[in-house]
Amino acid sequence: MSEAIALPAGAPAVQAADEQQLATITPRELTWRRFKRHRLALASGCFLGVLYLIAALCEFISPYKPETRNVAAINAPPMLVRFFDLDGRFHLRPFVYGYDMAVNPDTWMREYTVNPSKRYPLEFFAKGDPYHFWNLARGERHLFLAKGGYVHVFGTDQLGRDMFSRVFYGARISLSIGLVGLVMTFVLGIVLGGLAGYIGGWVDRAVQRLTAVLLSIPQLPLWMALTAALPPAWSPLRVYFGVTIILSLFGWTILARQVRGRFLALRVEEFVVAARLIGARKMRVILRHMLPNFLSHTITTATLAVPAMIIGETSLSFLGIGLRPPVVSWGVLLQQAQNYQVIVMTPWLMIPGLFVVLAVMAFNLFGDGLRDAADPYNTGGQG
Amino acid sequence: MTESLLEVRGLSKSFDGVPAVEDVSFDLQRAGTLGVVGESGSGKTTLARCILRAIDPDVGTVRFNSENGWTDLHDMKARDLVPLRREMQMIFQDPFSSLNPRMTVRQIIEEPLLVHGQRNRAKRLDEAIHMLELVQLERDSLTRYPHAFSGGQRQRIGIARALVLRPTFVVCDESVSALDVSVQAQIINLLEDLQKELGLTYLFVAHDLAVVRHICDRVLVMHHGRVVETGSVEDVFERPQQNYTKLLLSAIPSPDPDVPLRPLDRQALGL
Ligand SMILES: Nc1ncnc2c1ncn2[C@@H]1O[C@H](COP(=O)(O)OP(=O)(O)OP(=O)(O)O)[C@@H](O)[C@H]1O
Ligand SMILES: [Mg+2]
Repeated sequence: MSEAIALPAGAPAVQAADEQQLATITPRELTWRRFKRHRLALASGCFLGVLYLIAALCEFISPYKPETRNVAAINAPPMLVRFFDLDGRFHLRPFVYGYDMAVNPDTWMREYTVNPSKRYPLEFFAKGDPYHFWNLARGERHLFLAKGGYVHVFGTDQLGRDMFSRVFYGARISLSIGLVGLVMTFVLGIVLGGLAGYIGGWVDRAVQRLTAVLLSIPQLPLWMALTAALPPAWSPLRVYFGVTIILSLFGWTILARQVRGRFLALRVEEFVVAARLIGARKMRVILRHMLPNFLSHTITTATLAVPAMIIGETSLSFLGIGLRPPVVSWGVLLQQAQNYQVIVMTPWLMIPGLFVVLAVMAFNLFGDGLRDAADPYNTGGQG
Repeated sequence: MTESLLEVRGLSKSFDGVPAVEDVSFDLQRAGTLGVVGESGSGKTTLARCILRAIDPDVGTVRFNSENGWTDLHDMKARDLVPLRREMQMIFQDPFSSLNPRMTVRQIIEEPLLVHGQRNRAKRLDEAIHMLELVQLERDSLTRYPHAFSGGQRQRIGIARALVLRPTFVVCDESVSALDVSVQAQIINLLEDLQKELGLTYLFVAHDLAVVRHICDRVLVMHHGRVVETGSVEDVFERPQQNYTKLLLSAIPSPDPDVPLRPLDRQALGL
């Protein structure tokens, strides 16, 4: 146990003081200490935090609305935010250069060249497209805008819509599907797994069979079948929840199995028997003694289920059977980038894919770190 | 010393058709210590847990002489047992798994009081501090978590939890066998002192016969779930009647290092 706590080897006096402190440290703090030692997991956690913050504030962070079109820049490549102009002079206020567009007579593609005479300085907290923040408050301030022109940090798509704005509006949908699905997975998993483990008997057998059946069906075809069955007339919001429910259909099975196993293991732990012998009621035994000793594990498993859901949403929408435009999600955005031409001519349309990869990777690393830190006492195993 | 505290009659319990305890009967005198010995798997733990109704026996009666007179434990509803839990408690074998790692020592010791309706914080705390003194632990242990203690200290916490309700009857299931020998001696002395001080009655499950000989006044020898011999410590240890008991006794290491250890002669006894 001591090796897991990382005591700095110092003077005996220091160590004694440290042990004194360790003795009264709460289990949560102990977990946090262990988690902090996973640099990569910590960094992933911070990255996810920033990403979720951006997703939450996407109306404000994005310079434009996702459907705003800039006909002067269709399929325009990403713009560089500059501090130095082409003459090498430094400007305190960052700026972008506008484009000149010409149609290539051979390929019939629009080609953009930087025009140094179109210098658009960035303006912060500027007024732009009006928006309805979370459908709660109206606003028109944006984090940044280009004065007298336009700014497309990630370029634009075939209709001249700003990819930067669309990626972050998409983040809101794609990332929240993971979280909403997580909550559902969690509730289903704990309730069903807990019932199976605690009551046993036919309840246990029924849950076991159900999970076995669900786990034996290949995920993607079932997802496809179910999403294809969603009525086409449904509003985007209902489709969103429909897809979430379908995606969490699998997550809970693994969680329920784990919860059940933990319940069975904990039920015979001596401290649980002790609680019963004291005369504690069932509810108290479960809530006070059993739940706290496997909750952290359960949360960890659930965290690792989020990336699966993000990928699920992306895959379904990419295949055109999940979310549909005008909803903006990473999957929907990638659907536009489906053809071969995009890869060659407008590769920036694949930026949403980069975000999918980063978010999924961060979630996995974060979950791994959590898993290692979750159980400071290795309950369920030996001492 | 003649008043009975516990009467067990015809207690049986089997798991999946395999008997673990079969037709066990005995009496336990108030303020006495009854040792239960036998090899591993002979059903000692099952017996102890059946008596306290941690598991339900298949057949048999357990009668307990509670504050309110004799009570049949075996046919009570779990809910009605709760008040009786005050009077009978258990000290566990494993000092590591018997304490909830997510509760402080204070919470652990106060929980029985809380469960039995002591709503007064100050009184609970007083009780907890008193118990700590009784088991000879520092007062500042209260805010610590179990992981900060050694095996012997944890066992003391377990004892404090078991005794905080002032039970009359305490089951010790191998309560010292997981400890180092020197720590074992300390805990045994503590248990003896507490018995004198609080008038406790012990059911002492152990496979270490030397310990049983030291602390118990009566012994019950179990084999394959059955009682093979019972009697006072002197009788059983000095004049064992049954072959199985002799076999068990022969396995006690002799204090004389020049006497070679004899391995268990299982075949001769058809085990
Ligand atoms: N919950 C259970 N389910 C199935 N079988 C059990 C259970 N508990 C005990 N047994 C079986 O009952 C028998 C008696 O076990 P018990 O734990 O009472 O023995 P013991 O004398 O306490 O042994 P030890 O000295 O190893 O603690 C063993 O064969 C054991 O496998
Ligand atoms: Mg045992």
